[in-house]
Amino acid sequence: MIRNIGKFLKNTFPFLSVLVLWHLSVQFWNPAGILALIPIFYYSFIKPTDWFTLYAVIFCFLIDYKFDTLLFWTSFYCLFNAVNGFQSFVDLTKQKSEGVMVFMAYFATSSLILVLADWSFIIMVRAFWLVLWSSVLYVPFVALAKRINND
Amino acid sequence: MNQKKISSKVYSIAKSALSAAILPVFLIYIMMDKPDYKIMNGLSKIVLPVAEWVGNGITWPIHAIGDATSSIRELSNLRTENEELKAKLSEAIRQKNEYDIAISENQRLTRELDIIRKTPQKSIVANITFNNNAFSHSTFFINKGINNGIEKDMAVVSFEGALVGIISDVGVSFAKVRGLTDSKSNIPVRIAGSEVYGFLQGNGSDKPTMGFFSDPEFQPTPGLKLITSGIRGVLPDGINVGEMSDNKDTKIILPSSISSVMVLKFDGKDKYK
Repeated sequence: MIRNIGKFLKNTFPFLSVLVLWHLSVQFWNPAGILALIPIFYYSFIKPTDWFTLYAVIFCFLIDYKFDTLLFWTSFYCLFNAVNGFQSFVDLTKQKSEGVMVFMAYFATSSLILVLADWSFIIMVRAFWLVLWSSVLYVPFVALAKRINND
Repeated sequence: MNQKKISSKVYSIAKSALSAAILPVFLIYIMMDKPDYKIMNGLSKIVLPVAEWVGNGITWPIHAIGDATSSIRELSNLRTENEELKAKLSEAIRQKNEYDIAISENQRLTRELDIIRKTPQKSIVANITFNNNAFSHSTFFINKGINNGIEKDMAVVSFEGALVGIISDVGVSFAKVRGLTDSKSNIPVRIAGSEVYGFLQGNGSDKPTMGFFSDPEFQPTPGLKLITSGIRGVLPDGINVGEMSDNKDTKIILPSSISSVMVLKFDGKDKYK
């Protein structure tokens, strides 16, 4: 019984982590549930999981709805997915530190576009904080994910 | 083994091709369906409640701990709060007498000057469920929707009667409200007690900017009260908006500082949109 629950949690962790992080949106720490991008990125590009892409697109759409950014995060995810799939120079699944640098580049680029679209100093500070915070949180999240998956 | 590798590669390329193909679809959709984005908003009204429902089910222990902590904090502050409230109540009763006199005087003057002011037909009380303040965007969700008679572009005010935002999208049992600090928010306002008009523009910070005064010689000073002007016909005249904190910035009620709001419903054919 306990083993079955453990197996169920292990299989559903990628999906549940996205849902929980999106759902627990708090103004300063997790605005519009943006931290859900951590598991979305990890389970899409670093440790690809079956049936996750469609789920990730739905949650990017939900982040967009809360964020009021009109398909921005969804489009950016699809763009990155397309670019990553077509190229064979960089294998994201074999990146150092589970791809934290790639995640930082992903998040920073998308945030920069949003900041440039509506430039102000305070928005830039907020974006900087979010990139920093999400990158810091990426490391313990990956450690937890690896522990759950017994990697 | 080799065949498996090839099929995996084909699957990956097919997935990427689909992702790439969806991008121009998004672009065409954004250009075609603006400004209402009916398909996107319609889709969100199905997906969002389902995700919220499942999310509530999964995260209930976290919410329960959070609620218990805030209840304990509230209880510990109850005695002090009670004493403060008693003092405030006696002061409020004293002020009420003065205001009653002022109101009757105001009603008499309104009758004499033949001013017609719209009053809300009813107000719908709603709780703020999610505050989505991110970058320059500031929206929040309330737990009332179409089922409760809420429509797009209705005014959302605090219990003190100050404008907090405008309904930007409505679902069956929830609504999305655009706050005054959102960079897309631009409210026509008037300096209370004068005929000087202007626009209150959200800028992503906690204090929206006041500008485009109708009188170019007008010098704004801190402490001036702002009310809605009703110029565009979007909002009715006379809703309290906030107070100028310097010659540009305006102090308003932020959604993060309140937990409940009132949605004002006005009647009449010429109701604001």
